[in-house]
Amino acid sequence: MTSDVTIEYEDVYKRFDAPVLSGVSLSVMRGETVSILGTSGTGKSVLLKTTIGLITPDRGDVKIDGQSVYHSSRAGLRDLRRTVRYVFQYAALFDSLNIYDNVAMGLDPETIRSLDPPTMLDRIATSLENVNLDPAKVLSKLPAELSGGMRKRVGLARAIVGQPAIILYDEPVTGLDPVNAATVNRLIMSIAERTKVTSIVVTHDVEGSLEMSNRVALLDNGKLRFVGSPDDFRRSEDPLVMAFADRRAAAAAALKLIEHDANDDEAGSAHAVSIGV
Amino acid sequence: MTTPLSLFRSFLGGLGRASSGFAGHVGQISLLTVRIVMAVLQGGVSLKMIFAQAYEQGIGSLPLVLVTAVLSGIVTSQQGGYQFSSSVPLYVLGSVVASSVVLELGPVMTAFVLIGRVGARITAEIGTMAVSEQVDALISLGRDPVPYLAAPRVIAGMVVTPILVGIANAVGVLTGLVSARATMGLGQEGFLYGARMYWHSWDLFYSLTKAFVFGFTIPVISVHMGLITHGGAEGVGRNTTTSVVFMIITVLVVDATFPPLFLN
Repeated sequence: MTSDVTIEYEDVYKRFDAPVLSGVSLSVMRGETVSILGTSGTGKSVLLKTTIGLITPDRGDVKIDGQSVYHSSRAGLRDLRRTVRYVFQYAALFDSLNIYDNVAMGLDPETIRSLDPPTMLDRIATSLENVNLDPAKVLSKLPAELSGGMRKRVGLARAIVGQPAIILYDEPVTGLDPVNAATVNRLIMSIAERTKVTSIVVTHDVEGSLEMSNRVALLDNGKLRFVGSPDDFRRSEDPLVMAFADRRAAAAAALKLIEHDANDDEAGSAHAVSIGV
Repeated sequence: MTTPLSLFRSFLGGLGRASSGFAGHVGQISLLTVRIVMAVLQGGVSLKMIFAQAYEQGIGSLPLVLVTAVLSGIVTSQQGGYQFSSSVPLYVLGSVVASSVVLELGPVMTAFVLIGRVGARITAEIGTMAVSEQVDALISLGRDPVPYLAAPRVIAGMVVTPILVGIANAVGVLTGLVSARATMGLGQEGFLYGARMYWHSWDLFYSLTKAFVFGFTIPVISVHMGLITHGGAEGVGRNTTTSVVFMIITVLVVDATFPPLFLN
């Protein structure tokens, strides 16, 4: 990880019916993974959408590699967007396109024109394999024919196929069962490690975020309440941070209980087998 | 307490909000139109997508347009024949049917079919894309929704609607002729004599020009209403209904504007 800033939020304000973001400033370094936590409705997704101009802030600015998202020409903004990929909460795959075409949309039009069909297929298949999907089984399917977890992974494949410099993840594990959520979290980590991409992950998964991130930010009432390393987060005396950490502890305790029950069941099964039931 | 003055104020407030909302829609549709023109001039619209939309709008709507045209021709012929039976020579019916169908019924009934079948579908389709973040996804991937979603649908509408109206006109007049012969004994020669007597070639140009304008307004309104949809499934339903209302009113207003502009 190098130390230069790649994304810079400068005093970002956004108000809908009520204030959502009230002066958020944050610098994200190149190659860094930053998770943004916070209770529902605190503006996490709004902040993420301001990064590429999907929502325009009322005040403040967002810069990518020093270039303002909000003071760029239309062509400049389009070029900026091409260096960034956004993984949407429900994947946002195009319903009318099959998986091949959906993933191909992650490539620039110029790249699509320059690649011959076999190379293009190879590139799309590789990105699907990188998210643990079998291209032979999914390429010709429509998004509606896939499970929620598979759709999320196709969304990831679409994000990485163009080898972007920045990936923004909007609640990538929301709505997934724990097994699929762990798979997606591992994929985010492996993508970051393999490609050195800068990542911002908006999530409710505290445990996953502490595991995958270089830094964690906690958004509360439109302001950043905490920014620091996962270790700092765990040690923080801030009541809200502690509440998030406690929820993690509660979840860990619940998981331990489940594991304990499962061990008991296995022991019971082994006992049943040994007595020939 | 509700007083006449407070009611009047409330009425004025509602009128002001409605006017402001209407002006907002007009402004956004104008901007969308400019961006569509720019996209076409820059060559950024895929011919494949235009053909796909033209097929969907044209071939897909043809059966319903034919049914409407057949019934329009029959009804005009029957009602005209009923009114002319005692006082006016029956061959005038040919002119009444041809003029009614070509000037009014062909374009307007086809427009209503397209509002229900194409316009509502476009708003619901793009509205669903908007609420499921597919439009945002398109933007985030560096694609402009105008050449991808709006322009192919609007260009296809402008190409296909005059063709459908031309077919509806021909079928309407033909079924009017058949109906007049079958039920009123007006022969083909008499019907065509009447039709030719009051026929102006300008009428066909008028009809197809009207169709061209409808072919632009229906998709552009429906695309605009789709793109501004928010609020989940309820928002899609609400905007689809609003879109249909806007399209019907716009078609009727355009229809009322045409005679003073082109027939006087």
